[in-house]
Amino acid sequence: MIKTWELDPNFKYEIMNEPGGEHLTACYQCSTCTLGCPVTEIIPSYNPRKIIQMSLLGMRKEVLSNADLWICALCQTCTARCPQDVMICELMGAMRRIAEEEEKAGDIKIESPRPLFEKAFLHTLQKYGRLYDMGLALEYYPNREGSKIKGMKAMMKDYKDFGMRMFKKGKMGPLGGGGVFKGMRPEKIKEREVLKKIFEKVGEKEK
Amino acid sequence: MSEKKIAYYPGCPSATTAMEQDMSTKAVFEKLGIELEELEDWNCCGALEAGDPKLVIALNARNLALAERKGEDIVTPCSICYYNLARTDKALREDEKLRAELKEIDRSLEYNGTVKAKHVLDVLVNDIGLDELSGKMMKKVNLKVAPYYGCYLGRPPETAFDDPDDPVLMDQLIELMEAENVPFSYMKTKCCGGPLMMTRADIAFEMARKILEGAKNAGADCIALACPLCGMMLDAKQPDIEAAFKIKIDMPVIYITQLLGLALGIEPKKLGFNKNIIDTKKILEKVM
Repeated sequence: MIKTWELDPNFKYEIMNEPGGEHLTACYQCSTCTLGCPVTEIIPSYNPRKIIQMSLLGMRKEVLSNADLWICALCQTCTARCPQDVMICELMGAMRRIAEEEEKAGDIKIESPRPLFEKAFLHTLQKYGRLYDMGLALEYYPNREGSKIKGMKAMMKDYKDFGMRMFKKGKMGPLGGGGVFKGMRPEKIKEREVLKKIFEKVGEKEK
Repeated sequence: MSEKKIAYYPGCPSATTAMEQDMSTKAVFEKLGIELEELEDWNCCGALEAGDPKLVIALNARNLALAERKGEDIVTPCSICYYNLARTDKALREDEKLRAELKEIDRSLEYNGTVKAKHVLDVLVNDIGLDELSGKMMKKVNLKVAPYYGCYLGRPPETAFDDPDDPVLMDQLIELMEAENVPFSYMKTKCCGGPLMMTRADIAFEMARKILEGAKNAGADCIALACPLCGMMLDAKQPDIEAAFKIKIDMPVIYITQLLGLALGIEPKKLGFNKNIIDTKKILEKVM
């Protein structure tokens, strides 16, 4: 049951002020987004239409602490089909960023490792200018598992067979591909100073 | 197609997981007499992990500006890199204030919207064109192919260059090489699950399984695709998916540039056919 006195009527405007959230109130609940969603097909309780309706009603805390915000695959099917141009993928992004701010303020706990993954990704990008799989994994797994040892174990489990497969094809690992340590070593760009400036000016929320 | 030189933006997986896509893209363009000049010192596009649209725009403005200073259009083999480059190009063309803001951050981010960002598939079919390509076909690729497009070629509408529900550009190339498209429309544009791989592998595996089994049930010899993340999910992770569901799929997954390269008479090794994870021997045997 919704407790009307706990609703936040300004929540929709908060979302609409975030890039990507501008079209929220255009939604008329037709459910085209949900009917075509490949994630809903697998997890039937995942319902983007419902997340939008809850946002319009002002169920701020329920929306921001909802783990479902983080299982959108960003495949753009809903965005392409929405008759009201709500831009649902972008809307999810806007809500995710508000949720991250809310977690920083200590008001909610995000039940998904996705923010940790994005942070690790952006750290390698900021540091080297290009994606560095190994560096990303070495930051992400320990953070996700809550300790270095558990992180290494989880990483080994995911990468043991996969890594060997890549290694055999010369795509990853020592002695592979074009160099002795291809894929083990980051590729660095020269103008990393520019990236530093970019992250200082527009990446505040991503640090 | 008038210009013979294009700025090439390989994207991060080109150096590791998608080496065969990078190799085959270069080999095909070389064969067609178009010079791909790799953008010097390009940076990562931010993929789908840079959530803040402003960050995406700043990162990609640098790459667009690098191409603009050379006066060349920019082409990439990756669907996600394409999406980020194209949406940045669009945002900056429309917003003078944003352009000024970026210039403030660093002069190297000054981009004036004088070049175009394109995906390799778009350049092959729409710029070079099927007529031009048809005159260069050397071999018959005697295969049943499931053309798989994934997400960022036909959507979102702001950057799409093919139909969102029934895209055709790969189908046309496959017909041109005298291969057969198997009935695959219902799976063509379904997400491979790649973006969820590192956080919800359970969902990602199920999404990929549906596509792989869909291709198998349609009688395909292989899947053709045009995105390194799809390649990672459907090819490199295929043995993991087989193990997780205790099933046997054994479906070769080939980049469309690799297939086109075969039809153009380029030798398989140059196209990276020894780099695909699922064995491609059976595929190569059927090319005459």
